[in-house]
Amino acid sequence: MDIKELLKEILLKDKALIHLPFGNGKFDIYESVVVTWIIMAFILVLLLILTRDFKVHNISKRQAAVEAFVSWLRGVVGKNLGEEASRYTDWIVTVLCYLACANTIGLFGFIPPTMDINVTAGLSFMSIILVEAAAIRKKGAAGWLKSFAKPMAIVTPMNVMELAIRPLSLCMRLFGNIIGATVIMELIKHLIHIHSVSVPAIYPVPFAFYFDIFDGLIQAYVFVFLTSLYIKEAVE
Amino acid sequence: MLDFSIVNIVCIVINLLVLYIIFKKFLFDRVDRVVMKRKEEVDEATRAADLATQKALDTKKEYEEKIALADEEKEQILADIKKQGYDEYERIVSDAKKKGEQIIIEAKHNAEVENERAKEVYAAQITDMVIDAATKIAATKHSATDDRELYDKFIIEAGADNE
Repeated sequence: MDIKELLKEILLKDKALIHLPFGNGKFDIYESVVVTWIIMAFILVLLLILTRDFKVHNISKRQAAVEAFVSWLRGVVGKNLGEEASRYTDWIVTVLCYLACANTIGLFGFIPPTMDINVTAGLSFMSIILVEAAAIRKKGAAGWLKSFAKPMAIVTPMNVMELAIRPLSLCMRLFGNIIGATVIMELIKHLIHIHSVSVPAIYPVPFAFYFDIFDGLIQAYVFVFLTSLYIKEAVE
Repeated sequence: MLDFSIVNIVCIVINLLVLYIIFKKFLFDRVDRVVMKRKEEVDEATRAADLATQKALDTKKEYEEKIALADEEKEQILADIKKQGYDEYERIVSDAKKKGEQIIIEAKHNAEVENERAKEVYAAQITDMVIDAATKIAATKHSATDDRELYDKFIIEAGADNE
């Protein structure tokens, strides 16, 4: 298989995994949604195991680690959100954990859900809903509408456009980075496969560390960091 | 690759909401519950400590007031004792003075009495001497010259005794 065919297979393959009958036709459930369900099930089981038998005193090392981790995550996210938007910390932490799992699940042979633009679109949609809801909650509907004309009335069209630009940039940035990393990793694997005799199998490991783990986690952080900034800006 | 599917976007949104509920129920709420209980206990302990500190400060203040009162009482008692001592001293000195004066008066009186007695004894002796002299004169019939000599002798003797 040449590189062109490989790219076609990665980028243009049928994403539908489940075909559900609906009326006269059917609608498809994409693989990304199913992988998301797997991630959700994994997280649920993990949380049930980790948060079992929580005590107030004489806590186990497991409980101490979980408490410290939650506190650290809330600290990292809360720092970006600021004092006034701290109520949204838990949602942002949830998105961060989901994205961290989704972006690195390629290590376990699954296709990262964030490689599907529908997933990043859903995430961005929720982010922008949260940003605008936070602004309306803080300023009221009238104040929110007035905020489009700030700092000057002339920038109103740009501020209105931002309503679409912000989620679009969030969506495309995440999608592009993850699909780019996946394509690069597939190409590296393909090259290693072709030259398997002359190249040791350990060569893709550092690339996998970067593209599958580091880049995945960085993109997860960038997504929630930008969402946090938008929310912080909205409530100021 | 870039085909949007509203159904799948809705599925993802629902998945995210469900995931948030999972995180909320099985992680955040559990951690928060434990942390909150711990915070309540710490608050309770802090409140008890504050109460104990306040109580200790009140007791200290009370004792300080009592000590101040005791100092005042001590000063008062010392002043009373000093006054009593001074009064006693004054009384003793006064009594001593009175007694001294009394003794002096008595001594003077005794001296006078003694003087009177001595005078009486002396007068009695003179009387005896006069009687004796008269007896002697009567017994020897003396002349006028002899009598005058006798009288002169008597007067000289009497004067010598008085000196």
